[in-house]
Amino acid sequence: MSAIVRIEDLHKSFGGIVVADDVNLSFEAGEIVGLIGPNGAGKTSLFNLISGVIPPDAGSITLEGHRVDQLPMHHRARIGLARTWQNTRMFHSMSVIDNLLIATRRYPGESLARILFRRRSVDAFRQQATEKAMVLLERVGLADKMHEMAIELSYGQQKRIGLARALMSDAACLLLDEPMAGVEGQAYETIIRVIREEAQAGRAVCVVEHNISFIRDISDRTVFMFNGCVLASGSVDELTRDSQLTDLYFGGEHP
Amino acid sequence: MEYILTVMVLIGINVILATSFNLILGYGGLMSVAHPIFYAIGAYCSGLLAIHLQIPVPLSILMGAGIAMVLSFGVSLPSLRVSGDYLVIASIGFQLGILHVINNLEFTGAAGGLTNIPVLNEGPSRSLVFVLLIAVVAACAVMLVGWIVEGDYGRAITAMRNDEEAFSALGRNAMNIKIVLFAIGSGMAGLAGALYAHYFAYVTPEQFGIFTSAALLTMVVVGGAATTWGPLVGAVLLTTLPQAITFLGLPVSIMAPLQGVIYTTLVIFFLFARPQGLTGGTRGGGGLEAWSASAAFRARRDAE
Repeated sequence: MSAIVRIEDLHKSFGGIVVADDVNLSFEAGEIVGLIGPNGAGKTSLFNLISGVIPPDAGSITLEGHRVDQLPMHHRARIGLARTWQNTRMFHSMSVIDNLLIATRRYPGESLARILFRRRSVDAFRQQATEKAMVLLERVGLADKMHEMAIELSYGQQKRIGLARALMSDAACLLLDEPMAGVEGQAYETIIRVIREEAQAGRAVCVVEHNISFIRDISDRTVFMFNGCVLASGSVDELTRDSQLTDLYFGGEHP
Repeated sequence: MEYILTVMVLIGINVILATSFNLILGYGGLMSVAHPIFYAIGAYCSGLLAIHLQIPVPLSILMGAGIAMVLSFGVSLPSLRVSGDYLVIASIGFQLGILHVINNLEFTGAAGGLTNIPVLNEGPSRSLVFVLLIAVVAACAVMLVGWIVEGDYGRAITAMRNDEEAFSALGRNAMNIKIVLFAIGSGMAGLAGALYAHYFAYVTPEQFGIFTSAALLTMVVVGGAATTWGPLVGAVLLTTLPQAITFLGLPVSIMAPLQGVIYTTLVIFFLFARPQGLTGGTRGGGGLEAWSASAAFRARRDAE
């Protein structure tokens, strides 16, 4: 296995609050990493650092062999990074299918000059993207919603649209921020299946989730974060046997 | 008759201005209020080129628009770093700064204004010909903006306006879109300014201040932000309304501030009662979601 993402000595603090304290992590191709920890442990901040929402103070992030920690967000995404958001962040005045089309790797409307002078390639790109979007909507079980406004769907459905949107670009690394929040019933199985399929296709997947049984179901390796530090790594059962970690998770006394 | 034609020229100019402002503010959600300064740059540059370098007027008009387009970097570059309320402040700074320079330079005519600008066309039916010309230009402006915002490019603009961070995280380049929107919108404003200058043959700095920003904003808001026809409706309405008031024969001490009162009242009324404007539908794109975007953004930030 080869590392898709390699994080070395990553540090970030906001004033006195340390959200990443010399974090060292790597995500391998085909691997699903579960990221757990109490609220404020720095899980979402780590996603924000990797995807470029916030710049790190020190350390390095390598994505598919490219040093990306100083690159703008869209640049990292194009190298091969896709993420979802805790609160879905749908484009609220757009339909579901349009939400997905934005995320395609070769976007048809990238420049006005292209639209004006290369009509045919633009049409071809749109055609490809639309077909891909339909397949993805089918996979997350929301094909019938494609023309609805994304913002009008339920939270759980928006989560699934967010997942489908992140899959549009065939990124080598997927960062999924609480994909299960608000998701119930059959959709639960659907999401597990989709995430597994993506890992089998050779992508590195990292999942932040509070639902421990979901993490146990899906992850190959689980990483425990607390106060910006990676405290432990192993299987969920190994981590939950450690009484110190469970105390930290559930807000017991500090060690 | 001449009076009506002059009002129609003003309507045409304002349609171009409001339509291009709508591209930046309504569709792009880019909170710049400096639009009148590109109007000024087009007017002054074209006028000065024609006066001092004897450049033929049609050519100087195009050059004025081109210079406004290039100088739009003055606002589009800050917009890459700041957005929302902060961009409002930065753009006001840019606008007032350039206006201050124009106000104090000898060769721009300083506060007295630039006079003796050669006119575009002469002859007995000069105004009528000019009205036809400006109608064609205004129609082209509306169609150009309509073409930009529909289809694949428009989808990207909407997504950027909805959520720039999520947009960037999907690999799309927001910087390019902002630069393009400012360049095209400002170029159109410059064109409107140049046309104005070579019709009225006279411009003064005070035409391009914050009051004009407010007037254009009112046109966009009242007509319907991020709609194709909204700025047109707004421009027609808010150009003719002040003209109509002049017929009431009120004393100047009331007339002068009255215009400001009307604009402010209209904006506040529409903000609360009909944020999508006169032409906006019930949902999607239209109206003032752009104004609430920065507030929503901060709320979301705080929540995460």
